[in-house]
Amino acid sequence: MEPSRPGDPGRIGPYAVLGRLDAPAGDVPAAERRFVARSSDGDRTVLVAAPLEGADPGRFRAEAEAARRLFGPWTAVVDEVGTDAAEATPAWYTTPYLPALPLPAALAAHGGPLPERTVRALGAALAEALAAVHATGAAHAGLAPAAVLLTADGPRLTGYGAVRAATPPGPGGTGPVGLAPGTVPPEQLAGARPEPPGDVFALGAVLAYAATGYTVPERDELPAGLRALVSACLVRDPAHRPSVPRLLDELPGAAPGFGPAPAGFGPPPTLAGPGATVLDGGPSRAGALLTPGWLPARVVAALVRQSAAVLAAEPAPSPHPPHHGPS
Amino acid sequence: MPLPLHHDDPQHLGPYRLVARLGGGGMGTVYLGRSTGGRTVALKAVHPRFASDEAFRARFRLESDAARVIGGEYGAGVVDADPFAPQPWLATEYVLGPPLDEAVELCGPLPERTVRALGAALCRALAQLHRSDVVHRDLKPSNVLVTASGPKIIDFGVARALGDERLTRLGTAAGTPAYMSPEQAAGVEHTGAGDVFALAGVLVFAASGHAPFGGGQAADLLYRVRYAAPDLSGLPPALIPVLTRCLDKDPARRPATAELAELLAGTDDFPTALPDTLLAETARRATDVWRLQPHRLPPPPQSPDAPTAPAGLPPALSRRRLLGIAGGSTLGVAAAGTGGWLWWNGRERPQTTGPARFARPANIPGRATWWARLDKADDSRPPLVVGTLVAVRGQAGLVTFEAKTGLKRWTATSVKQSYEFTADTERVYACVSDGRNTKGLKVYNVSDTGGLEYIAGPFADLSSGSGHAEPLAVFGGVVYLAARKGGDRDDEPWSLLAVDTKTGGRLWNQPLGNHVPGSSTDRIVADVGSGHLLYARPLLPQRTNLLVAHRLSDGRREWDLELPGRRLDTSFMDTGKPATDGRHVYFAGTELTAVGLDDGKPAWTFGKGRPKGDLSATTSAYGPPTVRAGVVYAAEGTRGVVALSAATGELLWETPFPGMPPGSMAPVLGRTHLYVVATDGARDQIRAVDLQTHRIAWSMDVPGRVGGAPVAHERAGHLVWTSGDYVCALPFE
Repeated sequence: MEPSRPGDPGRIGPYAVLGRLDAPAGDVPAAERRFVARSSDGDRTVLVAAPLEGADPGRFRAEAEAARRLFGPWTAVVDEVGTDAAEATPAWYTTPYLPALPLPAALAAHGGPLPERTVRALGAALAEALAAVHATGAAHAGLAPAAVLLTADGPRLTGYGAVRAATPPGPGGTGPVGLAPGTVPPEQLAGARPEPPGDVFALGAVLAYAATGYTVPERDELPAGLRALVSACLVRDPAHRPSVPRLLDELPGAAPGFGPAPAGFGPPPTLAGPGATVLDGGPSRAGALLTPGWLPARVVAALVRQSAAVLAAEPAPSPHPPHHGPS
Repeated sequence: MPLPLHHDDPQHLGPYRLVARLGGGGMGTVYLGRSTGGRTVALKAVHPRFASDEAFRARFRLESDAARVIGGEYGAGVVDADPFAPQPWLATEYVLGPPLDEAVELCGPLPERTVRALGAALCRALAQLHRSDVVHRDLKPSNVLVTASGPKIIDFGVARALGDERLTRLGTAAGTPAYMSPEQAAGVEHTGAGDVFALAGVLVFAASGHAPFGGGQAADLLYRVRYAAPDLSGLPPALIPVLTRCLDKDPARRPATAELAELLAGTDDFPTALPDTLLAETARRATDVWRLQPHRLPPPPQSPDAPTAPAGLPPALSRRRLLGIAGGSTLGVAAAGTGGWLWWNGRERPQTTGPARFARPANIPGRATWWARLDKADDSRPPLVVGTLVAVRGQAGLVTFEAKTGLKRWTATSVKQSYEFTADTERVYACVSDGRNTKGLKVYNVSDTGGLEYIAGPFADLSSGSGHAEPLAVFGGVVYLAARKGGDRDDEPWSLLAVDTKTGGRLWNQPLGNHVPGSSTDRIVADVGSGHLLYARPLLPQRTNLLVAHRLSDGRREWDLELPGRRLDTSFMDTGKPATDGRHVYFAGTELTAVGLDDGKPAWTFGKGRPKGDLSATTSAYGPPTVRAGVVYAAEGTRGVVALSAATGELLWETPFPGMPPGSMAPVLGRTHLYVVATDGARDQIRAVDLQTHRIAWSMDVPGRVGGAPVAHERAGHLVWTSGDYVCALPFE
């Protein structure tokens, strides 16, 4: 957990803010402001996301409401969407708190690019999360390093719609707000509507970032085993990018423990064909990659440290206790 | 590992609300507590019975002081303490890592680099303690917590200031004999060098899995500690010289902590020295603590909330009372015997009464009262209740466990397939193939040793071939089976028959429709309800489900009904039996339908027009129902569970399932809770819905996926389920 910054709210809706999830951005911006916060009875700790300065709160809320429909093991659950326009933070949503590092923080904790095993597991899980989003007929359109949280048992994709809320409508300009350079597909920069192949481009950029520290790496900076696949995600022509099911087939590589789903899982194979997702009741293929050791040791240590810090945290005493107003 | 609170645990200690139990010994309990601001702490509370004992209080105060001396880097940081409260307590950081003994049980002997890193860090911890003139005197694997950033030393229950003789009169041989220094064993001064000796013993254990002087009787151990050479077998050779020096009988010849830290040359980067399994375990603890739901056990039924003893019993009584209360807990008794030193050391381990003598595996939930490994546990049907046992099919055959304790009983190695057996609540009946289809079908009873006792047949007209017979249900001493006619053609007809288990005679035989047995997606499930034998089976081409009723007395087909269902395997399949209450049979599909047993006509349907959440086209809207006492319970889409009136289909209440939708398994109804399996497709949880508030009381991750469904063993008071390679049980309430 990072300390609150000057100007940060002390409370958001019914929650007292304990700190920030993200470190102050370097060259890896986040599309929303994320806080660790706690309910007033002390029982529930949550992640609260609020729009960036200048973003459209109505749009942000609408996107968050839409994201509530998304399920899946690698999708951050949107629990509660704040709707009080009188508040200092007029739009926000919560996710149950679990120890989680934004991808840039994980690279910082590890001290550099993540091992190929981690990148493959991360990629497979994110591909499953995208498949779930695409199955609803939507595109994420905001996949970027900071939108990916790493938890002990797998990544969580966040930030649905935050980019669209932060970006003024209309084509051109400087491109979407709050995204790392190189994560926005060229067709979207040109003003086209977000489509699933755009998410594949962004996934390629995220995996490139995880594997090299740069969203736009030189081709030979990529680990040999991932070079072809990640480069294919990053081609300019959306039609030539790999499909999400193909990514799901190829990202696991020859990782140990990966194989066809065990018998008895999910619906019969005729139903769980290509494109079947965990939403169909099929097995999570990425789950097989998330075995002990999938996260490097220092990243695990950082997660455990964060958990300990949030366990020990208490909100600063509020200057204006909620039940009696200023006299 | 958090466990539910007991019914008589306090609500609060100081400003902290109690959330869970972490452990307990004869003289106190450790809780997980939360401040009003939501800070989570470990709370160590002295039992009020001992609070009046001045010496005990003094010791507790000293312990708090020593814990403060070691600080938060090498120990559990002290948050707050009140040694003067009626029930004295100490609040420390909740440390996210397993004790070293559990770590070794989990991972096996640790690699050399881990042992070196642990040793070097523990040297720095001891150095910090010794600089303040405090010696620990009870360093042992269970007092070292391994976190991802380094080890932490806990339990200063016997630590004392050097030269402070006030407290030593209470006991001559404090500490744990297995890791005690020779000078401590001899009853003379134990200095910092004694802690170095104990540290070396701890490292021997970490690297080899055994203590340097073995185990056994305290007297033998004390003798070996003083006079025998340490057992260094199994150690990496490079560690032997340095640990041998530390284990020298002469304290003066042992290295000091600073020198030892250099000799061990542990890495500065502690987490990279840990094995993956251990790191994953710390991460799991760091994550699971956030999923914890406060929970309190009800009073045990046989001793209805007996009035608790008033605080501050006369000292003369307290020891006897302790012995009485700690009866059965050897640690508690041992603690009493040494004058109350080791009160904290009896970490609560319910598994010591169960079959598992090993630490709780990382993926077994803390709520589980027993668990047992079972390779390839059947994931297609729930465990069966058989007398005091539960039976689960595994790779070895049909395996039974004592439902109360989890002790393994018999295994029927000849029963290999999930369709080969059925049971009433007392016995298992089986049809197994002898490999040919010409000898005639036989029916067996599985004996108390797991052997097969032939009780009926051979029926020469029926096949004894593999997969050619399925016992469906037993009721009133009659086994109902589906069986194929003997013969070589694949399309030999099937019949439904009733066999008397006492006489071995065939009561009736009726034709059965075009059944294709032997595959789990096409298994007939049946139950006997008020004079009807019901079975359901999917009709694959039509994508519908067929529900058929036969008259119990002569097997005549009474009615059948085709019910639409979007799933190819009907919801019945997961449960093993249709839900019936003698009036209706309840059938889940696109809607939930009650079908009259007497006429086969739908009595009511529920769910038309109701939102079901995000259902894919292949998912049935309702999960298999459970009916009891006039109420039908079932999972509804991805939204939650519903409770309906069995008579009218009217909605009585519903409970939403945020985060994780309910799975397609029948809920299990307890006295105070409804148990429902939730799943996100990759992981399963068991959730308990409070029947009074209709809210989710708690959710619990399980290892792997739940197989079949959980089942209630009411006599043993356990909910039993299979998941991963485990059979597990938790209290059924």
